[in-house]
Amino acid sequence: MLKRLTLLLTLQTLALFLFATGFFPQKTVIKGDSQFQINATLQSQTRPTFNKLVLIVIDALRSDFLFDSQKSHFHFVHSQLNKGTAWGFTAYSNPPTVTLPRLKGITTGSTPNFLDAILNVAEDDISSTLEDQDSLIKQFYMQGKNLKFFGDDTWLKLFPHHWFSEFEGTNSFFVSDFEIVDKNVTRHLPEQLAANDADVLILHYLGLDHIGHKDGASSKFMKHKHLEMDEIIKMIYESTQYSNEYDDNTLMVVMGDHGMNEVGNHGGSSAGETSAGMVFLSEKLAKYSTPQEQMNFEVPLLPNLNEEGQNNFQYLNSIQQVDLVPTLATLFGLPIPKNSVGVIIPEFLQMLDPQIISTKIKENYNQLLQLSKKSANEYEYNFDSDLDVNQEILQNEMKNIQNELTKTATNYNYNLLIIGYSILVISTLFTSLLIWKDYSKKNIFQLIPITVISIMLGVSTFSSSFVEEEHQIWWWITTGFITVSLVSTLTLQNGFSPLKTILYHLIIFGCARILRGWSNSGQKYIYDHVLSNVLKSHTNIQWYLNLLTILIIGFQKDSTSNFFKFTITFFLSVLCFIYKVNWAIVNNENVPDWFYASTYEACSILIGPTATTFQDSLIPMANLFLKAIVTTIIGRIIYSKIFIGKNNKDSLLIPDIVKYIKLLLIFETSSTKISQFLIFEIINHIWPKLLNLVKDTSDNDIANSIELSLIPLISLILQNFTFFQFGGTNSIATIDISNAYHGISENYNIYQVGLFMTISNFAPSIYWTIITWPTLYNSTSITNKNSKWIIFASNKLPILFFNCIVGCCLLASCYILRYHLFIWSVFSPKLCYFLGWNLFMNSIVGYIVEGLIVALA
Amino acid sequence: MSGKAKKQVKKRVTFSDDNTIVRQSHRKKNIGHEHPPVYVRKSLLTIPFHLIVLLYLYIYHSDYSTELLLLGLIPSQVFYLVLQFNKCTVYGNKIIKINYPLVFISLGGALLLSVPTLIIIILFGAPFLEHIKESWLLASHCCFLAYPAMYSVFNCDFKVGMWKRYYVMIVLGGWLSCVVIPLDWDRPWQAWPIPVVIGSYLGAFVGYTLGSYI
Repeated sequence: MLKRLTLLLTLQTLALFLFATGFFPQKTVIKGDSQFQINATLQSQTRPTFNKLVLIVIDALRSDFLFDSQKSHFHFVHSQLNKGTAWGFTAYSNPPTVTLPRLKGITTGSTPNFLDAILNVAEDDISSTLEDQDSLIKQFYMQGKNLKFFGDDTWLKLFPHHWFSEFEGTNSFFVSDFEIVDKNVTRHLPEQLAANDADVLILHYLGLDHIGHKDGASSKFMKHKHLEMDEIIKMIYESTQYSNEYDDNTLMVVMGDHGMNEVGNHGGSSAGETSAGMVFLSEKLAKYSTPQEQMNFEVPLLPNLNEEGQNNFQYLNSIQQVDLVPTLATLFGLPIPKNSVGVIIPEFLQMLDPQIISTKIKENYNQLLQLSKKSANEYEYNFDSDLDVNQEILQNEMKNIQNELTKTATNYNYNLLIIGYSILVISTLFTSLLIWKDYSKKNIFQLIPITVISIMLGVSTFSSSFVEEEHQIWWWITTGFITVSLVSTLTLQNGFSPLKTILYHLIIFGCARILRGWSNSGQKYIYDHVLSNVLKSHTNIQWYLNLLTILIIGFQKDSTSNFFKFTITFFLSVLCFIYKVNWAIVNNENVPDWFYASTYEACSILIGPTATTFQDSLIPMANLFLKAIVTTIIGRIIYSKIFIGKNNKDSLLIPDIVKYIKLLLIFETSSTKISQFLIFEIINHIWPKLLNLVKDTSDNDIANSIELSLIPLISLILQNFTFFQFGGTNSIATIDISNAYHGISENYNIYQVGLFMTISNFAPSIYWTIITWPTLYNSTSITNKNSKWIIFASNKLPILFFNCIVGCCLLASCYILRYHLFIWSVFSPKLCYFLGWNLFMNSIVGYIVEGLIVALA
Repeated sequence: MSGKAKKQVKKRVTFSDDNTIVRQSHRKKNIGHEHPPVYVRKSLLTIPFHLIVLLYLYIYHSDYSTELLLLGLIPSQVFYLVLQFNKCTVYGNKIIKINYPLVFISLGGALLLSVPTLIIIILFGAPFLEHIKESWLLASHCCFLAYPAMYSVFNCDFKVGMWKRYYVMIVLGGWLSCVVIPLDWDRPWQAWPIPVVIGSYLGAFVGYTLGSYI
């Protein structure tokens, strides 16, 4: 059975990958660079409105950070907006709202490809380069402009370095640092402003985004960051606009590449994430009439509330972020990049030479038409017959084309989709056959719960709400499962006290309820009083609970029996705890007062006196812990192989290894969530007791088969339930990267970071996988030599079955709903998460790691 | 484990009527029946039509006012018990006469039971601090929906076995109805606790209608 199972798992993974490659293809782009098409000579001879550009991208600069009276501290920008020397807009940033796709949008004007969101994480990928694609930057470069760039090194991945006469990249992935990352950009400014030789100066600041990721949108660090950014804008403005030499030929653009949600994450399509701020600054703007919305109001503004009383983040005029591309191209006398779906912002048309305005609009219209591959006849308006174009009609027409273009951004590879799906269906059929055969030997009724759950989850993938709120489904299943378990154990009447049964179930129910109240998940309901927030504001309770959790996990009764083992566990637990405290201190979290001195002492003892600050000892401490834990696990395995030998079973090997992995999981968990493991431990203490009740009262074979069918089921439910209650969702926005950088210095290895990121996001699910090992593979359940592999296989089969059913439904829903409004924001992320679950949780943790452990045991 | 020791004791305390150690009751006439049959007659009389009427009024004529619904539910459940449900309850081969003091004591009992029910509802995932009033209203609805069954439990000397199904159906109805809460339809009836109230009414309707057939 093991061989067949392996084959089926491989087939299933292959099917998913084929489907995904067909579903997330690279977008087809029009090659070549654009030229002026209409009145080319007139266009190239007309003097451009501006000839110097300073583009300041402030990562995650949401519209309210620029314009809101309560949130914004950009006082200089406000005063310029009120004077009319600055025009402000709310720019709609197309999801996925992460930096790499957004930068592509800002420079090429094209709509993003979903794959870019994933590549944003895998930064080493070279396929995302824009060297061959027509972009604003390329147009500037080909015009012989002098380009300089300082800031987020994503730009340097997108554009060849030789396009810039000077550049320096900063690393965007050190989320916990929000000072140095910006100082590294600002320090170039005095020199650059004095030299004043750059035609295009691009700055990309990351600090604000980092604050968001770390501490949320209303962090106490925000005000300071706003003031810092405002000061920089003021400095650049004064130096470029008031110097006599260049007068008013410099245009400054301050913009966010995307917004953020209240928690400070981004990637999805909520109003906060898609509403980025954008401000154009120049003395020249004051000579023209300011945009309609801005004329009537004094900035900063009050927020606009929607029907539910939430801020909709729409301030001043709303535009598409990609509109920046044709606008800048027009203002600087460049051809509009070929793949741009932008429409010139109408307010800027008045700044053009009057004789060229209609040409520019036609040019924009023509370019959009070519992109949409439709002839002008299909649209109502035909401009060739008309010399004086009706601006308004053409503008509307362009908006329509834009809408259509943004909707149909991708072409699917149907062959791959069909092949992938067929393989999956075949492997599902075989898996069902296998599980049917396996369970009909035992008791066919035990197949019911897993089938019901699989079908329920499968059906739910067709509804965007259920995908977004999947945590509700798992909570619903959990409550149902506990209740059914209570009722059925009570009615089975196997001669154990009903009081005890009720008590056990109540404890588990209570624990589950506490877990449910721990953090927010999903999009629909956000509660303020979740436990993680409560713990955050009650520092002492939080840290004593964390300490208790680590102690309880480290010192269960088997580890106190042997002095040598006790020392190792003690060392590991202390190391883990000190590191977490140290990390919290460095990240400005509160810890109980006396922790400061003792942590400092402990760090200097452990890693020597070279590290003088908490910051310095962070990386050595993490490395020490990681090395210690790896050495311990390897050492433990060698010890069991050499000293205990083959004749005596080392029954403690698996529990010990599980314990060390638990410590590693805690190491990869944020401080507000560590004490969840305490609740896990309580549940984990109780449910084997319930299982024992069943076991004691029926004969051995039945008990074994019940146990073998219940354990994977319980593990599956708890893996998913706790994954969502840990803060996970099916949206790219909640991938937590704050724990991915433990012990990783500046020259990081992408695979290591990726591994840590996955472990930290799947920590609770890993816990509920490994926790079954001691029960499954203990000496009493393994009877003869081959039996452990039979247990392994029968434990994996239901989970494979579940994944096959859900996979079939999910792929079908992705295919059927491929033109759905939410395909990129809801269904595609779900598909990615599903791939992640399959590859990491089932193949790597559940199959390879567990298989290794079983082989060794 | 410790289960081994327990095996020898074999204490049998269950909630089933088959093996229950019968409490001595004040009703002399039942003494001597070791297993007094408790059942509900199969009759159209048990169908609680008033629940459907109440739901109709709740949905179309009251703007989902859960309080008003409760005010309507309590008296109609009393009438249902006296005029319909009790007439179908058979205990010890007899249809027992209505015990008016107990009718009112059970009302108080239902009210009291709404507090533990509230705790159970919170355990099932109702918001803990917010919307406590709505959750309590839901709890009261559940308790008063169970009221005829509860009266019968009291009246039939705590033979719980037969009546469990009524509670289970109410809980099941409420549990199933949770499905609509996460949907993004933004309808007024998706607000807490309206779907669960409606669900438990439907559960109770099915329960009381089919209770005697299960």
